[in-house]
Amino acid sequence: MKNSINKIIIVGGGTAGWLSAGIIAAEHYSNENDFELYLIESPDIPTIGVGEGTWPSMRSTLKKIGISETEFFRECSASFKQGTQFFNWTHGNGETYSHPFTAPHNFNEKNLAPHWQKIREDIPFADAVCPQTPLINNQLAPKDITTPEYAFNVNYGYHLDAGKFAELLRIHCVTHLGVKHISANMTAINSSEDGDIQSITTDTKGTIEGDLFIDCSGTRALLIGEHFKIPTLSKKKYLFNDSALAAQISYQTEEDPIQSCTLSTAQTAGWIWDIGLPTRRGIGHVYSSQYNSEENARAELLAYIKKTAGKNAADNASIRKITFDPGHREKFWHKNCVAIGMSAGFIEPLEASALVLVELSAAMVAEQLPANRKVMDIVAKRFNEKFNYRWNRIIDFIKLHYILSKRTDTDYWIDNCRACSIPDSLQELIDIWQYQVPWHRDNYHIDEMFPSASFQYVLYGMDFVTEMNPMSKRSDREAGIQAQAMFIENANHAQRLAASMPSNRELINKIYKYGLQKV
Amino acid sequence: MSNYVVLSPEAHHSARVLTDPGKTEADRVQFAMTYPLEFRKIQACYPIFFSKSSDTGEFFPLALFGFEKGENLFIDQSQWHASYIPMMIERQPFLIGYQKTSNDSQNPVVSIDISSPKVSENEGQALFEDNQPTDYMKGIMSKLEALHHGHEHSKGFISALTDNGLLEPFTLDITLDNGVNKQLIGFYTINEHKLLDLDGDTLAELNKNGYLQPIYMAVASLARIKDLIDKKNALSS
Repeated sequence: MKNSINKIIIVGGGTAGWLSAGIIAAEHYSNENDFELYLIESPDIPTIGVGEGTWPSMRSTLKKIGISETEFFRECSASFKQGTQFFNWTHGNGETYSHPFTAPHNFNEKNLAPHWQKIREDIPFADAVCPQTPLINNQLAPKDITTPEYAFNVNYGYHLDAGKFAELLRIHCVTHLGVKHISANMTAINSSEDGDIQSITTDTKGTIEGDLFIDCSGTRALLIGEHFKIPTLSKKKYLFNDSALAAQISYQTEEDPIQSCTLSTAQTAGWIWDIGLPTRRGIGHVYSSQYNSEENARAELLAYIKKTAGKNAADNASIRKITFDPGHREKFWHKNCVAIGMSAGFIEPLEASALVLVELSAAMVAEQLPANRKVMDIVAKRFNEKFNYRWNRIIDFIKLHYILSKRTDTDYWIDNCRACSIPDSLQELIDIWQYQVPWHRDNYHIDEMFPSASFQYVLYGMDFVTEMNPMSKRSDREAGIQAQAMFIENANHAQRLAASMPSNRELINKIYKYGLQKV
Repeated sequence: MSNYVVLSPEAHHSARVLTDPGKTEADRVQFAMTYPLEFRKIQACYPIFFSKSSDTGEFFPLALFGFEKGENLFIDQSQWHASYIPMMIERQPFLIGYQKTSNDSQNPVVSIDISSPKVSENEGQALFEDNQPTDYMKGIMSKLEALHHGHEHSKGFISALTDNGLLEPFTLDITLDNGVNKQLIGFYTINEHKLLDLDGDTLAELNKNGYLQPIYMAVASLARIKDLIDKKNALSS
């Protein structure tokens, strides 16, 4: 009886499909087992480039897959992303704050947030505890040309061209990881008696059998949605945004600085992303169709482009519209099919959660690949619990940005703060954080998606006030002195870094020319 | 700061160069770049390490003279005590520069660092006599040419090392006799485990290109670290 799981079929190319293929094959492909991975990709359906921003996790993902960082920069128009800079989110008066990827100074041992409360009028939270903001503000790189591949001075992820990224992954998977690429259209899904998917019939490459099927077919969700009819849970009552207008804007000169973080600028009923690649900027407006007309959203986007790239760029901008229903599947793994990527769900791009969810999903499939069909249902149950939890944490974290806003200029911002639009899990955290700062104890899981550092950056970046318990402990005086020393250390570190790091563009050009060393 | 200008009999007919190694501040350096073609002589006196160019991140081999910036333990009372002086020290204050020609190719030219303490008006070796290079200058020019070839060979050598993952970061912690701790960081050495794991084809290829011998010489040169420590101890006792 053959029920071991060794033949995996991924349906759909694009970043989700090829990234999953890379992660799973890197873990299991070997000459000494009979593991097989097929990826069926329609030659007729263009992939849509979602997720041009990654988390720092992408560094270890790429390293594990076996792609050199130099090659990645050269092939994918990649640039360094050190976090997000937010504009106009709190009051809409031109104020700004940053959420850097580097955790606060000495974060594992010391919580600086309570001590910052005493100096909060003098210095922004991120500036006080982290050396990264001056680098971000000056479009500097997080490392220099002598720093080895995937190593850093301050933590970073990437901005990348999703189309080129999928192509690099495809070549790497097929050449080095034994992935079999089947370029054909799926014409039928064939079930076995127990309801599992047994095989997939294609128009030109025959019928392909498999043990586990991964749905990377995007919003069409051919396997999990169309075939298995697993419904999507809409999250629109929490996150209002359901539309986006996206444009690509050229630089004015080849020497224009490349931003080393994502810029996020709040609008009347949404926000504008601005992502700098070496070759172009990706700029888009994500908004709620309930609160904003497409016409007005377009006008706000064009005004932003005009202001940051000139009238010419605004006049010639070609704008693509995307609509989505924010939400995720009721379950992601059903029978012998698991959904990864937009087939699993999609919510707005704030905090760039799309690619990291692909990484985490594929890593869990790779790591817990069921030995046989019998235990697959247990793995599926665990997978569903874990990812249901993760989606909810992402929703909480994104929603946090909206409920901290003090903007009242439109119903969009006012309604975002109404109790009925706030998940209970988030409201509980907010209630607690009025009296104590986020810290490691707030993590329920060891592999929590957002560390308490991220909550600190957003809360205190957006003027949230934590009333510290007035019953001060005996150790407080000494802790305060220690904290003062750390603030000074951080300021010195920030100054040294800002003086020694090359610009984002300079380093990327050097990577093209000389490459990064492996050690 | 160095200030290199193209060397010419017209501009430098009266210039002289102090040739004794160790005599000027210019030689008080912690290390000098070296080349596999001179490893045999280098390893008899100095440990060979690798470092990265701060400009390009590319590796280059070096001969180490001290434990901190500006420390050259081989110089005592303005004299360099060693049986061999690295070529990159000997060639000072000259180097080969490149001039763009009209048809966009690069023309090698000899340049001189006129701000080097080795350059003098009244002491040392003359460069030109009757507008012709002196024997000293001719010797320098052949050294520079050898360096140029050494540099090309070195590039291939470094590629072979990095392609085979043969370099690894190296940290040296030493405690001097007087109790002071010194740490050497930012240098790289040959990864001997990787070297021992290379297959026959790779070894044959390295050997064919003249890279295998210098690899083992670099490994052997680490025995010279002890000499450096001894010198440092003698100095601070």
